[in-house]
Amino acid sequence: MKILIIEDEQGLREVIRESLEKEKYIVETAHDYISGLDKIGSYDYDCILIDIMLPNGSGLDLLRELKDMHKKEAVIIISAKDAVDDKVAGLNLGADDYLAKPFHLAELHARIKSAIRRNSHDGDNFIAYNNIKIEPDQRLITVDSIPLTLNRKEYDLFYYFMINPNRLINKTAIAESVWGDHTDQADNLDFVYSQIKNLRKKLKDAGAEADIQAVYGMGYKMT
Amino acid sequence: MKLRNYTLRYLIIALLAVIAIWASLFYVVILDEVYDNIDDGLKNSKILIIRETYADKTLLKTTEFGIHQFKIEPLPKGPLYDFSDKFISTFEFMEYDDDNEPVRLLETVFNDSDGNPYKLTIRASMVEEDELLEDLMIALIALYAMLVISIALLNYVILRKAWKSFYMMLDRLKKFRLGTGTTFKAPESSVSEFKVLGRELEDLLQRSETIFTSQKQFIENASHELQTPLAISLNRLELFVENNNLNEEQVMDVAKISDTLSRLVRLNKSLLMLSKIENRQFTDEEMINFNALANQLKEDFEDLSEFKNITIRSITLGELHYMMNKGLATTLITNLLKNAIVHSETSSSIDIVIEKNAVTLLNDGSTALNPDIFNRFTRDLSKEQSTGLGLSIVQSIASIYHLKVEYSYTGKHAFKIIFPTL
Repeated sequence: MKILIIEDEQGLREVIRESLEKEKYIVETAHDYISGLDKIGSYDYDCILIDIMLPNGSGLDLLRELKDMHKKEAVIIISAKDAVDDKVAGLNLGADDYLAKPFHLAELHARIKSAIRRNSHDGDNFIAYNNIKIEPDQRLITVDSIPLTLNRKEYDLFYYFMINPNRLINKTAIAESVWGDHTDQADNLDFVYSQIKNLRKKLKDAGAEADIQAVYGMGYKMT
Repeated sequence: MKLRNYTLRYLIIALLAVIAIWASLFYVVILDEVYDNIDDGLKNSKILIIRETYADKTLLKTTEFGIHQFKIEPLPKGPLYDFSDKFISTFEFMEYDDDNEPVRLLETVFNDSDGNPYKLTIRASMVEEDELLEDLMIALIALYAMLVISIALLNYVILRKAWKSFYMMLDRLKKFRLGTGTTFKAPESSVSEFKVLGRELEDLLQRSETIFTSQKQFIENASHELQTPLAISLNRLELFVENNNLNEEQVMDVAKISDTLSRLVRLNKSLLMLSKIENRQFTDEEMINFNALANQLKEDFEDLSEFKNITIRSITLGELHYMMNKGLATTLITNLLKNAIVHSETSSSIDIVIEKNAVTLLNDGSTALNPDIFNRFTRDLSKEQSTGLGLSIVQSIASIYHLKVEYSYTGKHAFKIIFPTL
């Protein structure tokens, strides 16, 4: 899978590149509007990450160019602004998703995977890990082809782990992704642990070959 | 109109003073003229009478006024008499008026054709001062009244016309809203002062608008600049933990750094929100149903509250609807609810009470809170992750929508937001 990162901040560009390359993605980068446009025009990618605030151009303009060129890549807009107008404008222009900085790497991976999956119309639309399969369109989980019933929050929680297998996920990232932005005060995040305990039990009972472990202080990891 | 009445009031008082002074002067001048006239008449009569006595000696026998308006009294021959004229104002009884009326007398001494001295007294009826005064007063009052009425009328008509453009300017000023991109255009006026005022106002508001926009820009850019290095730091730490085999203690250390950075992120986001609220950058408004909002938020916080075994109850005493920005309405209730949950003990309860014009959040507590909790950055130090800005944001939102936020302690902590009755 090929990903293009168009981001002017070198530090951010590099850390994202490293994280993605760890996931075995092929990563290319651009640092401003012109180099971004250049890369878009010359190559094809599976997913493009565009920062809205770029030197000598706006990320939204790049998005327009992309659509004008009828390119089929999945596009995720990243921005520090978290402004509703930007979000709406971006999504209206055809972006697949919008991420506000700062984001957790796990979140980025999840969004990239979802965007690519939604964008590709060929092939089966599912995520698999060992003997577990999730079909996101139907919100269906099967273990050894036997359906597993989870409540809404448990599904969202598990989906997050499935999309980030073997990665240490920050507990705040999980809380924000599954329960929303209100849950941003760490002394409350123990409730996340109790939900994960329930999830682990259900997985174990279904015979799933996956275990979620707590990494004390940081978060959780599904192996 | 206040300005008109203001000028009118002073005009009327000044007019009164002017007319009073003028009237007194006029009265004195008129009387003087009248006296002069009468005196001239008397002097003329003297000449005629003395001439007549030379022709007709019998006239010298008129010792009483009688039907003549003069009397002649013989004087003993003797020392030198003063032959000058003497004028006296006095009163004499007049049958017609049945009252003492003022008269003017001319007394003089003359020598007849034989050289005998005689005292001649000539009388003339005078203007009755008090009646003159009375008539003058009535005339003046009438004049004053007419002047006042016509001035008031003229005042009304002229001032209205002259100040028309000023009132138009006031109206446009009232409608002007900073930050909405509308420009203030002063209305046309032929009055140079208003022209200058209009121009200065246009400039001033233009400058304010520019400053406001650049401030907005600055805040947004500053936040952007802050978020990026924070993002890089957080992500670098995440990668660090993933890439290296750290022991538990080392992971904990990294976790602490991550948590502190996350706190910075939240602080930055809250500060940004506070400035945006205070700069009125949330302009979209819709009619918010607070009963529905409260229920939705109750659901959102379900897992968190269940974990702490806190029961959240919705008590509906009325329907609350209000026109405001949806995001801000959500933040308003969320912050209060979040505070209630975070600062409540396990196995306690929280009540959300909604009435027709108020929302109250009640939660258990043993002692009342210090009212300075509403100050920025005041926080419960045991809650390490608290930014101390939650309540400040609540207050900022409340102030731009003219809501009142009250805290009271009646065995339970009660945070109440009062909406104005429409």
